[in-house]
Amino acid sequence: MASQILPLELIDRCIGSRIWVIMKSDREFTGTLLGFDDFVNMVLEDVTEYENTPQGKKKTQLAQTLLNGNNICMLIPGSSGPDDA
Amino acid sequence: MDSAASGIQEPFDLIRLSLSERVFVKLRGDRELTGVLHAYDGHMNLILSDVEETIMIVDQVEGSANGQNTVNIAKRKIDMLFVRGDGVILVSPPLRT
Amino acid sequence: MDDSTPPPPAPPADSLPPPPPPPTMTGSPTDFLKGVVGKRVVVRLTSGVDYRGLLSCLDGYMNIALEQTEEHVNGLVTNRYGDAFIRGNNVLYISAAEPL
Repeated sequence: MASQILPLELIDRCIGSRIWVIMKSDREFTGTLLGFDDFVNMVLEDVTEYENTPQGKKKTQLAQTLLNGNNICMLIPGSSGPDDA
Repeated sequence: MDSAASGIQEPFDLIRLSLSERVFVKLRGDRELTGVLHAYDGHMNLILSDVEETIMIVDQVEGSANGQNTVNIAKRKIDMLFVRGDGVILVSPPLRT
Repeated sequence: MDDSTPPPPAPPADSLPPPPPPPTMTGSPTDFLKGVVGKRVVVRLTSGVDYRGLLSCLDGYMNIALEQTEEHVNGLVTNRYGDAFIRGNNVLYISAAEPL
């Protein structure tokens, strides 16, 4: 299957567009994907961080951010995140 | 680069420059240490002497909302201590003047 | 060899090295880190604790050296450190706290 696309090729095609990142913990991010590396560490721009705490949902706005790939669980290309879904 | 002035090219330089100095170490599990740094390695395993350990014990107050917890602080002294690197969150050297 | 064709002009011996390629905006993690060293950053740990300070340097494990560091827990400053070494495994993200 030479035509099969690798998972990270899909993410590579998302560079420049919005992406929704769901962490292993109760934490999510959305932002414009600027780049990533083999560990799936990601550089995002115009970021919103969503935290689901016992005290309720919390949103944090961030500028350019390097997100550690270690704690990433899922990536949803082209989505503006939980508010969009 | 600003950091050139302080002689720090990589994060471990900060630790190297703190050898024989009293350092503050923050560990997982709400533990903090201060002690004299004798040795470290790439895992951040540490050897400290003349250590004071501070443990924060948060007790949930019965039937109260969050933020109503009492924090008990336990302290103890240890002459010589090995710290396994994977528990280390932060190391802060003494203020350089 | 056709000696009627002039040889191509030899490059001048003292020619400058080729100009560096134009700054490619690849936006990779490495590029981000190059741009952010020396700037004010927020480092958030997986525990939710924030460290705000001047990014001195970092390495491939995301071990970080910060200067003029403030520790923030739930929006309150809980500690200040002149210098701080943060072990990389605790790092959730590094975010620019000033324009790059």
